[in-house]
Amino acid sequence: MNLKIRRTFKCVSTVVVAAMVPAFLLGACSGSSGNAIGTSSTSPTSADASVSKPTELSLWIPLTADFKGKNYNEKPSFQKMEKETNVHINFEHVSDADVENLFNLLMASGDLPDMIYYYNWDAQATKYGNSGALLPLEDLIREKAPNLERVLNENPEIRGQITSPEGHIYYIPNMALDSTLLVQMFPQVRQDWLDKLGLEAPKTTDDWYTVLKAFREKDANGNGKADESPFVSIGLDSGMNGASGAAGLFAPAFGIEFGFFVEDGKVKYGPYDPRFKDLMAFMHKLDAENLLDTSPKDFAALREKVLSGQAGAWFGWAGSYMGTFTALMKEKDAATSFEVSPVLPPVGPNGDQRHTSHRWPASSFGIAVSSKTDKPEEIIKWLDYQFSEEGVILNNFGVEGEGYTMQDGKPVYTDKIVKPADGSPPSVAILSQTIGGGAWPTITNVDGALQMNAANGQATSPTAQFASYIDLKKKLPPLQFTKEETDIIAPIMADLSSFIKEASTNFVNGQLPLDNFDKYLKNVEKMKLSVVLEQYQKAYDRFIQQ
Amino acid sequence: MNSVAGEKQADRSFFRIWKQVRTNRYLYLMLIPVVGYFLIFNYKPMYGAIIAFKDFNPYAGINGSDWVGLKHFRQFFESFYFGRLLRNTILLSVYSLAVIFPASIILALLLNEVRNKWFKSVVQTLSYLPYFISLIVICGMIVNFSGPDGMVSKLLVSLGVIDAPVDFLSLSSWYRTIHVGSSLWQYVGWNSIIYLAALSGISPSLYEAAVMDGANRWRQLIHITLPGIKNTIVILLILNIGSLMDSNWEKILLLYSPSTYETADVISTYVYRRGVQEANYSFSAAIGLFNSIINFSLLVAANFWSRRLTSNSLW
Repeated sequence: MNLKIRRTFKCVSTVVVAAMVPAFLLGACSGSSGNAIGTSSTSPTSADASVSKPTELSLWIPLTADFKGKNYNEKPSFQKMEKETNVHINFEHVSDADVENLFNLLMASGDLPDMIYYYNWDAQATKYGNSGALLPLEDLIREKAPNLERVLNENPEIRGQITSPEGHIYYIPNMALDSTLLVQMFPQVRQDWLDKLGLEAPKTTDDWYTVLKAFREKDANGNGKADESPFVSIGLDSGMNGASGAAGLFAPAFGIEFGFFVEDGKVKYGPYDPRFKDLMAFMHKLDAENLLDTSPKDFAALREKVLSGQAGAWFGWAGSYMGTFTALMKEKDAATSFEVSPVLPPVGPNGDQRHTSHRWPASSFGIAVSSKTDKPEEIIKWLDYQFSEEGVILNNFGVEGEGYTMQDGKPVYTDKIVKPADGSPPSVAILSQTIGGGAWPTITNVDGALQMNAANGQATSPTAQFASYIDLKKKLPPLQFTKEETDIIAPIMADLSSFIKEASTNFVNGQLPLDNFDKYLKNVEKMKLSVVLEQYQKAYDRFIQQ
Repeated sequence: MNSVAGEKQADRSFFRIWKQVRTNRYLYLMLIPVVGYFLIFNYKPMYGAIIAFKDFNPYAGINGSDWVGLKHFRQFFESFYFGRLLRNTILLSVYSLAVIFPASIILALLLNEVRNKWFKSVVQTLSYLPYFISLIVICGMIVNFSGPDGMVSKLLVSLGVIDAPVDFLSLSSWYRTIHVGSSLWQYVGWNSIIYLAALSGISPSLYEAAVMDGANRWRQLIHITLPGIKNTIVILLILNIGSLMDSNWEKILLLYSPSTYETADVISTYVYRRGVQEANYSFSAAIGLFNSIINFSLLVAANFWSRRLTSNSLW
């Protein structure tokens, strides 16, 4: 059933995108001409905020599917910000689905709004900076953005992460200054299923196999059919350098990662590692017994599996997964036994145990500025406001009285956010106030994050649970490549990543027997992975020196 | 002397043309939108094809981008996937052509032999209806039918042909069969219409004469019906060969997945992934150009051979 949904979705979405291309280009054109008319040359200062006409800036940003409104200007935090900064933002919203294609089209059109918000700037900023699309911000920050300059000076690692090899800063990211915020996605299991079947939370990869098998064979959802999807994930290797898919979760248990990682100071590539075979063998074992379901194409499809009582375990965030699922199940049936528990990362056959899913202090989410803008100073001042004390509170908590109240000098979320009257999850409710601390170019407030975790029904903070399993030495930092390096890497990786995707899918579903593993490694070698690794090593060494 | 006569003649022919244009000026006026359409939408974009020889950077513009010669072509020919893409593109098209082309002729011939008008029109309507269903819906139906809970799996399981339900679309060995089979269902009725039209143009007196000479149905088919539609068949074959490399790529895009790339990935879908999704516009322009050149040469070759063998051709 859900397989149909997934494929139909694929059909529909491909065509929708194709149909949207002209509409989108038209939209982009009319958007920018509209700005030209509304231009005002007055520079904003909070003193004359009420007097002068607001400066208008345009911002391209995907509209989060969970946000109930149509324009981010409906958010109280933005209305407040407009008053404080005297800057009006004209949002150029695009749909959240298929945002990668829309972004590529935008960048290829050559006609950019003042600012562009994107999720993947760490990989894209240098490329588009080199091509002349983006404005280098480092000088502007030094001269016009005191808050931002102070944060960068106090946290040199953030400056290092967003500075290109040529020394330019092309985007302003979301920043997590508290190390506990670096834990994000983690394994989650249906606790009520475990209880019902008298099982313990899985600790090793073998335990996972036993538990998942029991979920399927002992009819964990009690409907008399073997329709359970014991482990669901959006594909095998989706997102975050492949770390957020099923193979990404189990890879560290086998000592590798599904993507680039670092071992003893050397950059390595997970799929080109003898240990990858063990991972594939494990995944194939799960798939062959129908314990693994990688059919969901996106979060909505995965959520459907969970809400229909088919999914037993998955890999996800605290709020948007665990919290959302719990809130929605409660809304459906107040007496539901549905309960999700976070589980520690699995221990592999050789004793490897490590938590893979975490971010760097500077995230890849952020805003870049078009090189063609005629208001660079206004933009940098507006961006700087996001890092002022007021701006951070506004972006993490919303407006006082609506999103939070001050208690003992600290902001605390209101009931409107943590216990929404309409039964929606807190992670959705916060989106009506702000873009959400983890995504906007501001500093994520650790108190806010902890309050959200508590609101999501997590007695013990998973951040505390997982922090000790993080090995930053093994995680590849967000490397910035020079143009020469990019020119070498891009064409090779385009074919290689497609080859890896294909081969791993076929290893797992059994179309490609594991006996062919050596042949597969030879193919990867033939596709010049070593040349790519060389470039990565160069960039990594440069990063370490910084 | 000669040049003067030539001038006079040129004058006269120019005058003739002008006179003809003036008398038919409204017809010529109607031509303008058509010519304009082709100039704007088909010829002007050809200028953009030069990015295949440049490292296109939208911020420098087409003229401002650096020339790189044949770099992108070389990259494609040296690509790990070149052989497979070429093979898949040609095989999918050739299979489609080999199955659908004769099938629509056979359908038309069979329909032509049916004497019951009511039965004939029902069969014809049913066979060309799928052509009007949008590709999206067709693909949705294919996905439903061939999935593990689809009717094909259920049927085969209940007949005991297979033990457990199979997701046919995730098996690369099944992709071509599904693709060509569904195209046959989609297009055979529609394609047969043009042959039926050609068949209706054959003079009944030829059949009458043949019957007088004692020819049976089969003889009539061989000696009257087939020669009667031969020209149509040849022209359509040339046209089909000219678009051989196009391989119904929208459909592939909707049906394939990494597990079936082995047999389903064709040049056009590769262009989509590398070009649109990864924003390598120069690279995909180069592959697209390569594809078009092959298409063009195939068309010219098919036309040439057809002219030599059947004295019948497009031009």
